[in-house]
Amino acid sequence: MQDEALRVEDLHLTYGNLAGTTVSKPRALGFFEMGKTAPNDKELISGANLLVKRGETLCIGGPSGQGKSAFLRVIAGLSRPNQGRIYYFGEYIPPERLTALEVAKRQVGMVFQNGALISNIRVKDNIGLPLRYHKKGNAAEIEEKIRMAMDLMRVRDSADLFPHQLSVGMQKRVAIARAWAMDPQLLLMDEPTAGLDNYNRRNLLPLIDNMRTLFKTSIVIVTHDLMMAKELDCNICFLHQKTLTEPKSFDYWVDSDTDISRELFRDVRTSG
Amino acid sequence: MTQNDNREMARFTLMGTLFHKLGMFLMHRTAGQQVVLFFRALGSLFSKSRSFKTDSKNIIMQTFFTGVEIFPILFVVATLFGTVVIVEIMTLMGKVGFSDVVGSLMVVVIIRELGPILTAFLIAGRSGSSLTTYVGSMVISSEVDALASMGVDPIRYLVMPGLIGGSIATFIMTIFFSTSAIVSGFIVTKFVIFISGNALNLQLTWDYLSTEILKAMSMMDFVLIVVKPLIFGCIITTNACYQALNIPRDIRQVPKATSRSVIKSFLYIVCADVFLSLFYFFDYFNEISKII
Repeated sequence: MQDEALRVEDLHLTYGNLAGTTVSKPRALGFFEMGKTAPNDKELISGANLLVKRGETLCIGGPSGQGKSAFLRVIAGLSRPNQGRIYYFGEYIPPERLTALEVAKRQVGMVFQNGALISNIRVKDNIGLPLRYHKKGNAAEIEEKIRMAMDLMRVRDSADLFPHQLSVGMQKRVAIARAWAMDPQLLLMDEPTAGLDNYNRRNLLPLIDNMRTLFKTSIVIVTHDLMMAKELDCNICFLHQKTLTEPKSFDYWVDSDTDISRELFRDVRTSG
Repeated sequence: MTQNDNREMARFTLMGTLFHKLGMFLMHRTAGQQVVLFFRALGSLFSKSRSFKTDSKNIIMQTFFTGVEIFPILFVVATLFGTVVIVEIMTLMGKVGFSDVVGSLMVVVIIRELGPILTAFLIAGRSGSSLTTYVGSMVISSEVDALASMGVDPIRYLVMPGLIGGSIATFIMTIFFSTSAIVSGFIVTKFVIFISGNALNLQLTWDYLSTEILKAMSMMDFVLIVVKPLIFGCIITTNACYQALNIPRDIRQVPKATSRSVIKSFLYIVCADVFLSLFYFFDYFNEISKII
């Protein structure tokens, strides 16, 4: 219990629950109808279980459209599961209270696939926004934290730019800096290397690794980029046939004789 | 427990169930959810994360966004509207020999009814729609989700400044509209009289106009001059944010939500105006009963 960062038990999710989950209805109203599934609603995830230990990095892979990002959204509290229990650092949040705001209180951060930077404020203010909102220190301390985050992710030169003036890779680095600045104990990352060229990808991976080694942050990464798991030396599990497989090492999957590894590691095997 | 207690308990449970059912019914309706959103936005002012400096900065920015950018068009509309009303009323009342009710009519038409409503319509069309597009785009690009996942309450960060700033701006703009309609309308009308060689035979002076208007204004007018625009402002901004926050993740829904926001704001504003007009009716009824 003490060394677990995230535990998911028997999670079920339908397409109906995934769609239209915005802030004001019903989430902002604190108004839920639990356990109800609309007729003809298709199941996206059926009975997924997961355990992530403190300081561990885990990649979740799988073919497109299997619900990897949806799974991450549920963990982040942005979508409501139809069924299942989620524990953050051993603490269970009941489904009626499972909102992004509640999850964020447990030091869980999220990096979105598109960065999701606030478009009308500058890079430094994007990083400083949650710090100022949660009053994480006085003005000087917050400035120092913003500077550290920008240095760590190497975006200091872009401090005064607006998000639309940044490249995709830069936006991702700012998004990671913003999440890091809040000292998350568990960081959820949705396709951090998607849309990046090899140069930016190579630069990004050591930054993610730094967070794990220096700050002991637990990281869950949803990705298509299976080589990332090898480079980060972390376990991979797959969302396959509506459920999650056991997390195993990259080498295990390369050598195994399962359908999923035959399909997804074909290129790795043929290249030797 | 006696039989009486049992009956009392059953009645209490029945009332509770009825209230619960009514509450659930309203919660499932758009209007009910908007009311909850409104109170949540107001309540967020007192949340733990409040910061006077940031809040006042956001509210002032939103007030400027709502008010200042609409200023030129509002001034032109108010001037033209004031001219039409003054000329029409003066001419018509002069013809039928009721020139002593000119002030009352001006108060009813400009200050009491059409001034606040036209201002609210212009703000709903210009600023309400912008707010829906702005927040809606943030929903589509996951910025609202990003705020929530950082523990930043989107209702506090986006809706609350819009609500307070929008209401203040609507109030200021309504006062500005009514004043402009009367003053500019008077100036333009005098100009028209001068150009036309007073073809309409209007006897219009500023002293006459202002005295008539002030004479016709009641206590209720002074109260509703403040209350009405604030209510309209709350309606416009709450509705605009509600429509935006409920956009499904589809970019095509942004323009749809924007037009829905404007149309529904018009509807809610007129409904609220009808409701507020009842106060005049009760005021009038009280006066009549006093006389009787």
